[in-house]
Amino acid sequence: MTEKNKKITHRAKFSLKCFVNGEKVERDLDSSRSLIEFIRLDLGLKGTKEGCGEGECGACLVLVDGKAVNSCLMMAIQLQGKRLITIEGLKGRDGGLHPLQKTFMEEGAVQCGFCTPGLIIASEALLRENPDATVEDIKRGLTGNLCRCTGYEKVVSAVRKAQKLS
Amino acid sequence: MPELILKPGTLKELWLLPPAPGGSRKYLAGGTDLVSGSNAGMDASQVWVDISDIKELKGIRETKNSLIIGSGVKISELSGSGLISRWLPALRSAIPHFASPSLRNMATIGGNAATASPCADGVCALCAERADVWLELGGKKRKIALQNFFSGPKKTVLRRDELITAFEVPKWKHAGVYLKLGPRAYFGIAKASVAVALELDGEKVRSASITLASVSPVPLMAVKTANYLKGRVLNYDNARTAAALVKTEVSPITDARSEAAYRREMSGVLLERALNSVILTGRMSQVAG
Repeated sequence: MTEKNKKITHRAKFSLKCFVNGEKVERDLDSSRSLIEFIRLDLGLKGTKEGCGEGECGACLVLVDGKAVNSCLMMAIQLQGKRLITIEGLKGRDGGLHPLQKTFMEEGAVQCGFCTPGLIIASEALLRENPDATVEDIKRGLTGNLCRCTGYEKVVSAVRKAQKLS
Repeated sequence: MPELILKPGTLKELWLLPPAPGGSRKYLAGGTDLVSGSNAGMDASQVWVDISDIKELKGIRETKNSLIIGSGVKISELSGSGLISRWLPALRSAIPHFASPSLRNMATIGGNAATASPCADGVCALCAERADVWLELGGKKRKIALQNFFSGPKKTVLRRDELITAFEVPKWKHAGVYLKLGPRAYFGIAKASVAVALELDGEKVRSASITLASVSPVPLMAVKTANYLKGRVLNYDNARTAAALVKTEVSPITDARSEAAYRREMSGVLLERALNSVILTGRMSQVAG
């Protein structure tokens, strides 16, 4: 076992090195820190929400190495060497709002707004994999995101509209 | 949450770790069961071992006669694999039914087995694909049939600290399908589901594997029904008889998700639909040998 691994494996603290929204980040953390705690409490990025803590609601979605994951079910130690994008890191090509952020506003795809960051991250992950997603593909792609205000139709229209802008 | 998470980089490093205090090691892979259980206050262990970056547990490869699927392979990686698409039609068909897209990016096929849920989609399909599972403890390896891995709901034959390292699935020419009945079209837990793998010789069934989930304490191999189909022509009449027979093999319970009588009835309905879908499309889509 290398000296580096001994440090990681036998101490309660570990040194996390990763990229957050394009910036290199290094932090000493408790090994028991969850990813959502790291995002909200250590980085102060409050756009990512914790809803259920069970992976059911999707409010906590972030992108890790380009894939949508539930940050409430991932530990910070699993982010070692990876690239994290939170809702704060999604930007348009001009550095302004991302097309999905624009179309969610234009279509009124927001009611209380708690689920919105997760829905936008899930939509971004979906469109990266399948830019020509149909309405059915979009509905399937967003099955892991619950909106308690139940405003799904406008969300689907916002994603359809963003496809045309991208 | 545990007080400490250990993070070995290789299997060799893993087996050098000291024993966990107070019981078997808790292995952290995708986290979708372990972390959610911990968040809900159902895990009191002080130490976890994070195996999510152990390279030996990753990847899907092909040998002359089988596919080797690392236990750390994510469910979404299965769906993107040409080898899975080519050789494992029942597993391929199960993937869209598995949780949500983001959970498929996290959950591993090894974790799906280790959790030993009677309703697990992935391992139900893998049992029908006739998979074996590789286990390792302290560098010593053993291989058992996946169907014999489960000893009850949430219970397996894993020994203390033993780790699932891979699944070995034979390459055989067959048609396959997975059908699931849940409370909604996607992202639901099954009331009943069925995985079918059929080796066909023209219109006749040369051999069949049928596995059901959520209708017995462990993934159920419907051996009587599979034997009934063996040697028979695959047609609508025989599919109906097989559906009646499978209802005598399941042992469902009534719980929060469904009722025993409904689950028994739907086991037959799902099997008949699965066989009919193979009659309609499967002969043409039987994987290339």
